[in-house]
Amino acid sequence: MNAIIQTNELTKTVKGKTIVKNVNLIVKKGEIYGLLGPNGAGKTTIMKMLTGLIIPTSGEIMLFGKKLAETSKEGLKRVGSIIEYPIFYDHLTAMENLRIHCEYLGFYDKRAMIQALDMVQLKGIGDKKVKDFSLGMKQRLGIARAAITKPELIVLDEPTNGLDPIGIKDMRDLIRTLNKEYGITFLLSSHILGEIEQVADRIGVIRNGQLADEVSLSDIRRQRTDYIELLTSNVQRSAFLLEHELQVSNLKIVKDNRIRIYDAGISAGQISKLLISQDIEIEEIQKHTSTLEDYFYHQIQGGDKVD
Amino acid sequence: MIKLIELEWRKLDRKKVFGEVIIYWVILMFLPVFFLKVVFADNPAVHFGESYGAAIDLMLPIQMGFLLFGASLINHVFIEEYKNKTMALSFGYPLSRKRLVMVKVLFIALAVFFCSLISFVLAGITTYGLDQALEVIDGSPSAADLMTYVVRMIIHSFATALASLIPLFLFGIWKRAVIPTVVCAIFLMQFPNFLGLLRITLNPDLFYAILSFLGVASVYLSVKLVNRLGDL
Repeated sequence: MNAIIQTNELTKTVKGKTIVKNVNLIVKKGEIYGLLGPNGAGKTTIMKMLTGLIIPTSGEIMLFGKKLAETSKEGLKRVGSIIEYPIFYDHLTAMENLRIHCEYLGFYDKRAMIQALDMVQLKGIGDKKVKDFSLGMKQRLGIARAAITKPELIVLDEPTNGLDPIGIKDMRDLIRTLNKEYGITFLLSSHILGEIEQVADRIGVIRNGQLADEVSLSDIRRQRTDYIELLTSNVQRSAFLLEHELQVSNLKIVKDNRIRIYDAGISAGQISKLLISQDIEIEEIQKHTSTLEDYFYHQIQGGDKVD
Repeated sequence: MIKLIELEWRKLDRKKVFGEVIIYWVILMFLPVFFLKVVFADNPAVHFGESYGAAIDLMLPIQMGFLLFGASLINHVFIEEYKNKTMALSFGYPLSRKRLVMVKVLFIALAVFFCSLISFVLAGITTYGLDQALEVIDGSPSAADLMTYVVRMIIHSFATALASLIPLFLFGIWKRAVIPTVVCAIFLMQFPNFLGLLRITLNPDLFYAILSFLGVASVYLSVKLVNRLGDL
């Protein structure tokens, strides 16, 4: 396993309150890892510790196989980040901000700065002061800054905050491009499921400061079950007909009036046609897909992993 | 280290800082003559105008005004950076916090030292020039006076640079409060006058030595405790 980030029992306590507790997180090289959790779950605190902004109360962070500590922050040269919201020296221009960032990292390449601005569609406004930027522009400039040195890891906390729908799509595309073309590993956080679902390879669910579960999106997609839900007053007879007339082998009677049919080859139309022909009243029939939302909801509510 | 100090300068709103320094220079260059010609004009007990040697004793405490500039820099370099979170941005670079604080401290100390040095030169030239026109100081400056002035201006600028860091730990890094930082600088600046009012005589050299020591102590605590204070 080629772990870019590995934490061991990472814990952060502030004023006696434990915000992050015993988190053992592994982010592998080249993947897009999403931290998912409701507001206040501890996602930002984890990211702040991973980027050296705050010091863990206990536990260990390994970045690129080396321990990250106040006295050994060399690993951060290979990391780009935006935590909470992009922070800049507002009285300076976009280009001046990028230049200062690069110089702190011992990197200076004017062409790379121009390219970074191009990449986030901020071409030609490098001489504009950041205080005149909209939040969306600042967010994009933040991405440009995070990616300018082509780091091996980019940490983005709620990267689509403040972006309009087009900006959100652009951001998603940009993350995918940087991941695929430059092999940059991403650690993202969001409380919006759809966002994470569309870009992440793996997700870690954060609940009350703990890593409740880690799962790959492909696993969830595999687990994702489509089913048809039927509401009828005559459940027993309907189930009998479905089994014998349509050869349904995978169904479940959920409540007194509700049946779920999991067989992939059966359509709602076939079921309706059959039941109507047998004079069985259908109150409702609908196709359902269990999504990441179901999974996430289940995790946040404290349930076990979806089987 | 020099590169990092230069970056501190580039991060500042330089126009604002330049404007501020120019105001200090202009005020402090005219103050000695103003005191001699206006404030002490009718006070026979004051003898600063008797010779250039005596005038130097007046000019030295006036240049303590640069303590206020130090407070202003603490505000720009530390307090504002904490408040607008650019300090957190700096903490994300591969640089230890202690080193970062040390760089900022050196930047402030160097800025105060050199600006104070220039201020001494400007005040010396202006006082001499105005004395030629207004005759506020008796006699002419001797080579010994000039030598004393040069030596004192270096020592004094050094002491001012260190003393300007006194508010750093308590008000700059811990409390992050602008007004107490400035009030502290004003208090230190006026401290010799308070002693005068209380009829307490304190050797000026000892006084500057104590202030310098307090400045160093404040820097030591700032560097030592930066990891334990604030956004951890």
